[in-house]
Amino acid sequence: MLSLHEVESRLDLWGSVLHLWEKDSHGKEVMWNLAIGGMNMEFSPKTMIMTWLVMILIVVFVIIATRNMNLRRPHGTQNVLEMMFEGIRGQVSQTMDPQRGSSLLSIVLTFFIFILISNLLGLIPTFTSPTANPNTAFALALITFILIWFYGIRYKGIGYFKHWFKPYFFFLPLNLIEEFVKPLTLACRLFGNIYAGEILICTWLGMFYGWYQLTGGFIASVIWLGFSIFVGFIQAYVFTVLSINYIATAIAEHE
Amino acid sequence: MENFPNGTLIGQIINFLILLFLLKKFAFKPLGKLLSDRQQLIADSITTAEQERQQAEQIKAEYEAEMQRTREMAQEIIQKATKAGEEQAAEIIESAKNEAKRLKDAALVEIKHEKEKAVAEMRDEAATLAILVAGKIINQQIDEDIQHKMVKDFVKEAGELLC
Repeated sequence: MLSLHEVESRLDLWGSVLHLWEKDSHGKEVMWNLAIGGMNMEFSPKTMIMTWLVMILIVVFVIIATRNMNLRRPHGTQNVLEMMFEGIRGQVSQTMDPQRGSSLLSIVLTFFIFILISNLLGLIPTFTSPTANPNTAFALALITFILIWFYGIRYKGIGYFKHWFKPYFFFLPLNLIEEFVKPLTLACRLFGNIYAGEILICTWLGMFYGWYQLTGGFIASVIWLGFSIFVGFIQAYVFTVLSINYIATAIAEHE
Repeated sequence: MENFPNGTLIGQIINFLILLFLLKKFAFKPLGKLLSDRQQLIADSITTAEQERQQAEQIKAEYEAEMQRTREMAQEIIQKATKAGEEQAAEIIESAKNEAKRLKDAALVEIKHEKEKAVAEMRDEAATLAILVAGKIINQQIDEDIQHKMVKDFVKEAGELLC
Protein backbone atom coordinates (compact mmCIF):
# COMPACT_ATOMS: atom_id res chain seq x y z
CA MET A 1 0.00 0.00 0.00
CA LEU A 2 1.36 3.35 -1.06
CA SER A 3 1.04 6.53 0.91
CA LEU A 4 -0.94 9.40 -0.51
CA HIS A 5 2.21 11.30 -1.18
CA GLU A 6 3.75 8.45 -3.18
CA VAL A 7 0.61 8.02 -5.29
CA GLU A 8 0.56 11.73 -6.02
CA SER A 9 4.18 11.81 -7.10
CA ARG A 10 3.71 8.73 -9.30
CA LEU A 11 0.64 10.26 -10.92
CA ASP A 12 2.49 13.51 -11.56
CA LEU A 13 2.90 12.77 -15.26
CA TRP A 14 2.61 16.37 -16.41
CA GLY A 15 5.06 17.67 -13.84
CA SER A 16 7.73 15.03 -13.73
CA VAL A 17 7.67 13.87 -17.36
CA LEU A 18 6.54 16.89 -19.33
CA HIS A 19 7.90 19.43 -16.80
CA LEU A 20 4.90 21.71 -16.99
CA TRP A 21 5.65 22.37 -13.33
CA GLU A 22 8.53 21.52 -11.04
CA LYS A 23 8.74 20.22 -7.51
CA ASP A 24 11.24 21.23 -4.91
CA SER A 25 13.24 18.85 -2.76
CA HIS A 26 10.35 18.46 -0.30
CA GLY A 27 7.96 17.40 -3.05
CA LYS A 28 6.18 20.73 -2.88
CA GLU A 29 4.98 22.53 -5.95
CA VAL A 30 7.28 25.33 -7.12
CA MET A 31 5.16 28.43 -7.53
CA TRP A 32 5.25 30.80 -10.41
CA ASN A 33 6.30 34.19 -9.15
CA LEU A 34 4.98 37.27 -10.81
CA ALA A 35 5.57 40.80 -9.67
CA ILE A 36 2.63 42.99 -10.58
CA GLY A 37 2.75 46.63 -9.54
CA GLY A 38 5.40 46.00 -6.94
CA MET A 39 3.38 43.13 -5.46
CA ASN A 40 4.90 39.70 -5.63
CA MET A 41 2.27 37.14 -6.40
CA GLU A 42 2.51 33.39 -6.41
CA PHE A 43 0.58 31.25 -8.80
CA SER A 44 0.05 27.52 -8.51
CA PRO A 45 1.15 26.24 -11.93
CA LYS A 46 -0.77 22.99 -11.56
CA THR A 47 -4.06 24.72 -10.85
CA MET A 48 -3.53 27.36 -13.51
CA ILE A 49 -2.65 24.83 -16.20
CA MET A 50 -5.59 22.61 -15.27
CA THR A 51 -7.88 25.66 -15.36
CA TRP A 52 -6.65 26.57 -18.81
CA LEU A 53 -7.22 22.99 -19.90
CA VAL A 54 -10.77 23.18 -18.56
CA MET A 55 -11.29 26.47 -20.37
CA ILE A 56 -10.00 24.99 -23.62
CA LEU A 57 -12.28 21.96 -23.22
CA ILE A 58 -15.29 24.17 -22.57
CA VAL A 59 -14.56 26.46 -25.49
CA VAL A 60 -14.06 23.47 -27.81
CA PHE A 61 -17.29 21.97 -26.52
CA VAL A 62 -19.34 25.12 -27.07
CA ILE A 63 -17.81 25.68 -30.50
CA ILE A 64 -18.82 22.15 -31.50
CA ALA A 65 -22.24 22.63 -29.90
CA THR A 66 -22.97 25.99 -31.52
CA ARG A 67 -21.54 25.11 -34.93
CA ASN A 68 -24.34 24.39 -37.42
CA MET A 69 -27.00 25.01 -34.81
CA ASN A 70 -30.30 23.69 -35.97
CA LEU A 71 -33.49 25.53 -35.12
CA ARG A 72 -35.82 22.61 -35.70
CA ARG A 73 -33.75 19.55 -34.96
CA PRO A 74 -30.92 20.09 -32.44
CA HIS A 75 -28.01 17.65 -32.72
CA GLY A 76 -26.18 15.93 -29.85
CA THR A 77 -23.91 18.55 -28.29
CA GLN A 78 -26.34 21.33 -29.09
CA ASN A 79 -28.93 19.43 -27.08
CA VAL A 80 -26.62 19.22 -24.08
CA LEU A 81 -25.86 22.93 -24.17
CA GLU A 82 -29.51 23.80 -24.66
CA MET A 83 -30.46 21.62 -21.74
CA MET A 84 -27.98 23.38 -19.43
CA PHE A 85 -29.00 26.77 -20.76
CA GLU A 86 -32.70 26.17 -20.29
CA GLY A 87 -32.25 24.48 -16.93
CA ILE A 88 -30.27 27.38 -15.46
CA ARG A 89 -32.49 29.93 -17.16
CA GLY A 90 -35.47 28.22 -15.56
CA GLN A 91 -33.80 28.47 -12.16
CA VAL A 92 -33.06 32.16 -12.70
CA SER A 93 -36.54 33.06 -13.91
CA GLN A 94 -38.12 31.10 -11.05
CA THR A 95 -36.27 32.98 -8.37
CA MET A 96 -36.22 36.48 -9.81
CA ASP A 97 -37.70 38.77 -12.39
CA PRO A 98 -36.52 37.35 -15.76
CA GLN A 99 -35.76 40.86 -16.99
CA ARG A 100 -33.25 41.37 -14.18
CA GLY A 101 -32.05 37.79 -14.40
CA SER A 102 -31.12 37.96 -18.07
CA SER A 103 -27.89 39.84 -17.32
CA LEU A 104 -27.06 37.33 -14.60
CA LEU A 105 -27.76 34.29 -16.73
CA SER A 106 -24.43 34.25 -18.58
CA ILE A 107 -22.48 34.45 -15.34
CA VAL A 108 -24.29 31.67 -13.49
CA LEU A 109 -24.27 29.53 -16.60
CA THR A 110 -20.51 29.96 -16.82
CA PHE A 111 -20.33 29.05 -13.12
CA PHE A 112 -22.18 25.83 -13.80
CA ILE A 113 -20.26 24.73 -16.87
CA PHE A 114 -16.88 25.73 -15.44
CA ILE A 115 -17.39 24.01 -12.09
CA LEU A 116 -18.89 20.94 -13.71
CA ILE A 117 -16.02 20.39 -16.14
CA SER A 118 -13.48 21.24 -13.42
CA ASN A 119 -14.98 18.66 -11.07
CA LEU A 120 -15.08 16.00 -13.76
CA LEU A 121 -11.51 16.67 -14.93
CA GLY A 122 -10.12 15.51 -11.60
CA LEU A 123 -11.60 12.07 -12.12
CA ILE A 124 -9.21 11.39 -14.98
CA PRO A 125 -5.94 9.99 -13.63
CA THR A 126 -2.97 12.43 -13.66
CA PHE A 127 -5.34 15.40 -13.90
CA THR A 128 -6.57 17.40 -10.92
CA SER A 129 -9.69 19.47 -10.51
CA PRO A 130 -9.02 23.20 -10.40
CA THR A 131 -11.85 23.32 -7.85
CA ALA A 132 -9.84 21.05 -5.52
CA ASN A 133 -7.66 24.06 -4.90
CA PRO A 134 -9.12 26.47 -2.31
CA ASN A 135 -7.99 29.45 -4.38
CA THR A 136 -10.37 28.50 -7.19
CA ALA A 137 -13.30 27.83 -4.88
CA PHE A 138 -12.77 31.09 -3.06
CA ALA A 139 -12.29 32.99 -6.31
CA LEU A 140 -15.66 31.76 -7.51
CA ALA A 141 -17.31 32.50 -4.17
CA LEU A 142 -15.76 35.96 -4.23
CA ILE A 143 -17.38 36.56 -7.61
CA THR A 144 -20.75 35.55 -6.13
CA PHE A 145 -20.14 37.85 -3.16
CA ILE A 146 -19.36 40.77 -5.48
CA LEU A 147 -22.41 39.95 -7.58
CA ILE A 148 -24.69 39.95 -4.51
CA TRP A 149 -23.53 43.44 -3.61
CA PHE A 150 -23.48 44.64 -7.21
CA TYR A 151 -27.04 43.53 -7.89
CA GLY A 152 -28.27 44.64 -4.47
CA ILE A 153 -26.91 48.15 -4.93
CA ARG A 154 -27.92 48.27 -8.59
CA TYR A 155 -31.58 47.60 -7.85
CA LYS A 156 -31.95 49.03 -4.33
CA GLY A 157 -29.28 51.69 -4.20
CA ILE A 158 -27.72 52.31 -0.85
CA GLY A 159 -30.94 51.01 0.67
CA TYR A 160 -29.59 47.55 0.06
CA PHE A 161 -27.60 47.77 3.28
CA LYS A 162 -30.76 48.44 5.25
CA HIS A 163 -31.35 44.71 5.48
CA TRP A 164 -28.45 44.49 7.90
CA PHE A 165 -30.62 46.23 10.47
CA LYS A 166 -33.71 44.11 9.90
CA PRO A 167 -35.80 43.24 11.74
CA TYR A 168 -34.18 45.20 14.59
CA PHE A 169 -31.01 47.20 14.88
CA PHE A 170 -29.35 44.75 17.26
CA PHE A 171 -29.54 42.01 14.61
CA LEU A 172 -26.63 43.75 12.88
CA PRO A 173 -23.91 41.30 14.03
CA LEU A 174 -26.00 38.30 12.99
CA ASN A 175 -26.78 39.83 9.62
CA LEU A 176 -23.13 40.73 9.06
CA ILE A 177 -22.07 37.18 9.86
CA GLU A 178 -24.71 35.86 7.47
CA GLU A 179 -23.55 38.20 4.73
CA PHE A 180 -20.03 36.85 4.83
CA VAL A 181 -20.85 33.26 5.72
CA LYS A 182 -22.87 32.85 2.55
CA PRO A 183 -19.90 33.01 0.14
CA LEU A 184 -17.66 31.30 2.68
CA THR A 185 -19.92 28.25 2.80
CA LEU A 186 -20.17 28.23 -0.97
CA ALA A 187 -16.40 28.06 -1.29
CA CYS A 188 -15.85 25.58 1.53
CA ARG A 189 -18.56 23.26 0.30
CA LEU A 190 -17.17 23.13 -3.20
CA PHE A 191 -13.55 22.88 -2.18
CA GLY A 192 -14.20 20.32 0.54
CA ASN A 193 -16.27 18.01 -1.62
CA ILE A 194 -13.93 18.00 -4.58
CA TYR A 195 -10.69 17.95 -2.61
CA ALA A 196 -11.93 15.08 -0.44
CA GLY A 197 -12.98 13.25 -3.59
CA GLU A 198 -9.53 13.56 -5.06
CA ILE A 199 -7.83 12.48 -1.86
CA LEU A 200 -10.07 9.44 -1.74
CA ILE A 201 -9.33 8.56 -5.36
CA CYS A 202 -5.60 8.73 -4.63
CA THR A 203 -6.08 6.65 -1.51
CA TRP A 204 -7.88 3.91 -3.40
CA LEU A 205 -5.19 4.02 -6.09
CA GLY A 206 -2.58 3.53 -3.38
CA MET A 207 -4.32 0.33 -2.37
CA PHE A 208 -3.74 -1.23 -5.79
CA TYR A 209 -1.02 -3.39 -4.27
CA GLY A 210 -1.09 -7.04 -3.35
CA TRP A 211 -4.32 -8.34 -1.93
CA TYR A 212 -6.04 -4.95 -1.84
CA GLN A 213 -6.66 -5.54 -5.50
CA LEU A 214 -8.93 -8.43 -4.65
CA THR A 215 -10.52 -7.11 -1.51
CA GLY A 216 -11.73 -3.74 -2.43
CA GLY A 217 -9.19 -1.21 -3.55
CA PHE A 218 -10.26 -1.61 -7.14
CA ILE A 219 -13.98 -2.10 -6.56
CA ALA A 220 -14.16 0.78 -4.10
CA SER A 221 -12.24 2.95 -6.52
CA VAL A 222 -14.67 2.20 -9.36
CA ILE A 223 -17.69 2.85 -7.14
CA TRP A 224 -16.13 6.05 -5.84
CA LEU A 225 -15.38 7.28 -9.38
CA GLY A 226 -19.00 6.74 -10.34
CA PHE A 227 -20.16 8.53 -7.23
CA SER A 228 -17.71 11.36 -7.90
CA ILE A 229 -19.35 12.03 -11.26
CA PHE A 230 -22.61 12.45 -9.37
CA VAL A 231 -20.94 14.64 -6.75
CA GLY A 232 -19.34 16.75 -9.48
CA PHE A 233 -22.76 17.46 -11.00
CA ILE A 234 -24.40 18.08 -7.65
CA GLN A 235 -21.71 20.49 -6.47
CA ALA A 236 -21.78 22.45 -9.72
CA TYR A 237 -25.56 22.63 -9.50
CA VAL A 238 -25.63 23.55 -5.81
CA PHE A 239 -23.06 26.29 -6.25
CA THR A 240 -24.97 27.75 -9.19
CA VAL A 241 -28.41 27.54 -7.62
CA LEU A 242 -27.26 28.95 -4.29
CA SER A 243 -25.53 31.83 -6.07
CA ILE A 244 -28.75 32.55 -7.95
CA ASN A 245 -30.74 32.40 -4.73
CA TYR A 246 -28.41 34.69 -2.81
CA ILE A 247 -28.53 37.26 -5.58
CA ALA A 248 -32.31 36.90 -5.91
CA THR A 249 -32.68 37.44 -2.17
CA ALA A 250 -30.51 40.54 -2.38
CA ILE A 251 -32.66 42.16 -5.07
CA ALA A 252 -36.03 40.88 -3.89
CA GLU A 253 -38.55 43.57 -3.00
CA HIS A 254 -39.55 43.04 0.61
CA GLU A 255 -42.86 44.15 2.08
CA MET B 1 -3.62 24.92 2.81
CA GLU B 2 -0.16 26.47 2.89
CA ASN B 3 -0.75 27.92 -0.57
CA PHE B 4 -3.92 29.75 0.33
CA PRO B 5 -4.61 32.48 -0.36
CA ASN B 6 -2.16 33.41 -3.04
CA GLY B 7 -2.09 34.88 -6.52
CA THR B 8 -3.88 31.85 -7.88
CA LEU B 9 -7.08 33.34 -6.50
CA ILE B 10 -6.65 36.48 -8.60
CA GLY B 11 -5.60 34.31 -11.53
CA GLN B 12 -8.73 32.22 -11.24
CA ILE B 13 -10.94 35.30 -11.19
CA ILE B 14 -9.23 36.52 -14.36
CA ASN B 15 -9.56 33.06 -15.90
CA PHE B 16 -13.23 33.04 -15.04
CA LEU B 17 -13.78 36.45 -16.59
CA ILE B 18 -12.00 35.35 -19.78
CA LEU B 19 -14.12 32.21 -19.92
CA LEU B 20 -17.27 34.26 -19.28
CA PHE B 21 -16.38 36.60 -22.13
CA LEU B 22 -15.64 33.72 -24.52
CA LEU B 23 -18.79 31.78 -23.62
CA LYS B 24 -20.97 34.84 -23.83
CA LYS B 25 -19.60 35.68 -27.26
CA PHE B 26 -19.47 32.22 -28.77
CA ALA B 27 -22.16 30.27 -26.98
CA PHE B 28 -24.77 32.15 -25.01
CA LYS B 29 -25.55 34.93 -27.46
CA PRO B 30 -26.15 32.63 -30.46
CA LEU B 31 -27.84 30.05 -28.26
CA GLY B 32 -30.15 32.60 -26.69
CA LYS B 33 -30.98 33.91 -30.12
CA LEU B 34 -31.63 30.39 -31.36
CA LEU B 35 -33.92 29.63 -28.44
CA SER B 36 -35.89 32.85 -28.84
CA ASP B 37 -36.11 32.15 -32.58
CA ARG B 38 -37.44 28.71 -31.80
CA GLN B 39 -39.93 30.17 -29.36
CA GLN B 40 -41.01 32.60 -32.05
CA LEU B 41 -41.30 29.76 -34.55
CA ILE B 42 -43.46 27.74 -32.18
CA ALA B 43 -45.62 30.76 -31.38
CA ASP B 44 -46.00 31.47 -35.11
CA SER B 45 -46.86 27.84 -35.79
CA ILE B 46 -49.51 27.90 -33.11
CA THR B 47 -50.96 31.15 -34.44
CA THR B 48 -51.00 29.79 -37.98
CA ALA B 49 -52.61 26.57 -36.83
CA GLU B 50 -55.21 28.56 -34.93
CA GLN B 51 -55.98 30.67 -37.99
CA GLU B 52 -56.20 27.65 -40.22
CA ARG B 53 -58.50 25.94 -37.78
CA GLN B 54 -60.75 29.00 -37.75
CA GLN B 55 -60.77 29.07 -41.53
CA ALA B 56 -61.61 25.41 -41.66
CA GLU B 57 -64.44 25.94 -39.22
CA GLN B 58 -65.76 28.80 -41.28
CA ILE B 59 -65.63 26.70 -44.45
CA LYS B 60 -67.34 23.88 -42.64
CA ALA B 61 -70.09 26.20 -41.42
CA GLU B 62 -70.57 27.55 -44.93
CA TYR B 63 -70.70 24.07 -46.34
CA GLU B 64 -73.22 22.99 -43.76
CA ALA B 65 -75.39 26.02 -44.46
CA GLU B 66 -75.20 25.22 -48.17
CA MET B 67 -76.18 21.62 -47.45
CA GLN B 68 -79.08 22.78 -45.35
CA ARG B 69 -80.29 25.10 -48.09
CA THR B 70 -80.02 22.36 -50.69
CA ARG B 71 -81.89 19.97 -48.47
CA GLU B 72 -84.65 22.52 -47.94
CA MET B 73 -84.88 23.14 -51.65
CA ALA B 74 -85.13 19.42 -52.36
CA GLN B 75 -87.82 19.11 -49.73
CA GLU B 76 -89.74 21.96 -51.32
CA ILE B 77 -89.47 20.40 -54.77
CA ILE B 78 -90.69 17.07 -53.46
CA GLN B 79 -93.59 18.74 -51.70
CA LYS B 80 -94.54 20.66 -54.82
CA ALA B 81 -94.37 17.52 -56.91
CA THR B 82 -96.47 15.59 -54.41
CA LYS B 83 -99.05 18.33 -54.32
CA ALA B 84 -99.15 18.59 -58.10
CA GLY B 85 -99.51 14.81 -58.36
CA GLU B 86 -102.33 14.78 -55.86
CA GLU B 87 -104.06 17.59 -57.68
CA GLN B 88 -103.64 15.81 -60.96
CA ALA B 89 -104.97 12.57 -59.50
CA ALA B 90 -107.99 14.39 -58.10
CA GLU B 91 -108.54 16.02 -61.46
CA ILE B 92 -108.32 12.67 -63.27
CA ILE B 93 -110.75 11.08 -60.83
CA GLU B 94 -113.10 14.03 -61.17
CA SER B 95 -113.06 13.87 -64.95
CA ALA B 96 -113.54 10.09 -64.84
CA LYS B 97 -116.54 10.57 -62.59
CA ASN B 98 -117.96 13.18 -64.95
CA GLU B 99 -117.38 10.92 -67.91
CA ALA B 100 -119.09 8.05 -66.13
CA LYS B 101 -122.01 10.28 -65.25
CA ARG B 102 -122.24 11.46 -68.82
CA LEU B 103 -122.17 7.93 -70.13
CA LYS B 104 -124.79 6.87 -67.60
CA ASP B 105 -127.07 9.77 -68.54
CA ALA B 106 -126.62 8.99 -72.20
CA ALA B 107 -127.49 5.37 -71.52
CA LEU B 108 -130.58 6.39 -69.57
CA VAL B 109 -131.67 8.67 -72.34
CA GLU B 110 -131.12 5.85 -74.83
CA ILE B 111 -133.09 3.43 -72.66
CA LYS B 112 -135.94 5.86 -72.32
CA HIS B 113 -135.89 6.50 -76.01
CA GLU B 114 -135.90 2.79 -76.75
CA LYS B 115 -138.71 2.23 -74.27
CA GLU B 116 -140.80 4.92 -75.88
CA LYS B 117 -140.08 3.43 -79.21
CA ALA B 118 -141.12 -0.01 -77.97
CA VAL B 119 -144.31 1.32 -76.43
CA ALA B 120 -145.19 3.03 -79.68
CA GLU B 121 -144.52 -0.15 -81.61
CA MET B 122 -146.65 -2.07 -79.13
CA ARG B 123 -149.45 0.40 -79.55
CA ASP B 124 -149.31 -0.13 -83.22
CA GLU B 125 -149.33 -3.85 -82.68
CA ALA B 126 -152.21 -3.59 -80.21
CA ALA B 127 -154.19 -1.49 -82.65
CA THR B 128 -153.54 -4.01 -85.40
CA LEU B 129 -154.60 -6.78 -83.08
CA ALA B 130 -157.68 -4.90 -82.05
CA ILE B 131 -158.58 -4.37 -85.67
CA LEU B 132 -157.89 -8.05 -86.28
CA VAL B 133 -160.01 -9.04 -83.32
CA ALA B 134 -162.75 -6.68 -84.34
CA GLY B 135 -162.69 -8.16 -87.80
CA LYS B 136 -162.99 -11.62 -86.37
CA ILE B 137 -165.87 -10.53 -84.20
CA ILE B 138 -167.61 -9.04 -87.06
CA ASN B 139 -166.99 -11.99 -89.36
CA GLN B 140 -168.15 -14.67 -86.96
CA GLN B 141 -171.30 -15.39 -85.11
CA ILE B 142 -170.11 -15.48 -81.68
CA ASP B 143 -171.76 -16.06 -78.43
CA GLU B 144 -171.09 -14.38 -75.28
CA ASP B 145 -168.82 -17.08 -74.02
CA ILE B 146 -166.68 -17.05 -77.07
CA GLN B 147 -166.58 -13.32 -77.01
CA HIS B 148 -165.52 -13.33 -73.43
CA LYS B 149 -162.92 -15.90 -74.09
CA MET B 150 -161.58 -14.01 -77.03
CA VAL B 151 -161.27 -10.83 -75.04
CA LYS B 152 -159.51 -12.69 -72.32
CA ASP B 153 -157.09 -14.21 -74.78
CA PHE B 154 -156.51 -10.86 -76.30
CA VAL B 155 -155.78 -9.31 -73.00
CA LYS B 156 -153.45 -12.11 -72.09
CA GLU B 157 -151.72 -11.83 -75.43
CA ALA B 158 -151.42 -8.14 -75.04
CA GLY B 159 -150.11 -8.56 -71.54
CA GLU B 160 -147.42 -10.96 -72.70
CA LEU B 161 -146.44 -8.61 -75.40
CA LEU B 162 -146.27 -5.74 -73.03
CA CYS B 163 -144.20 -7.38 -70.42
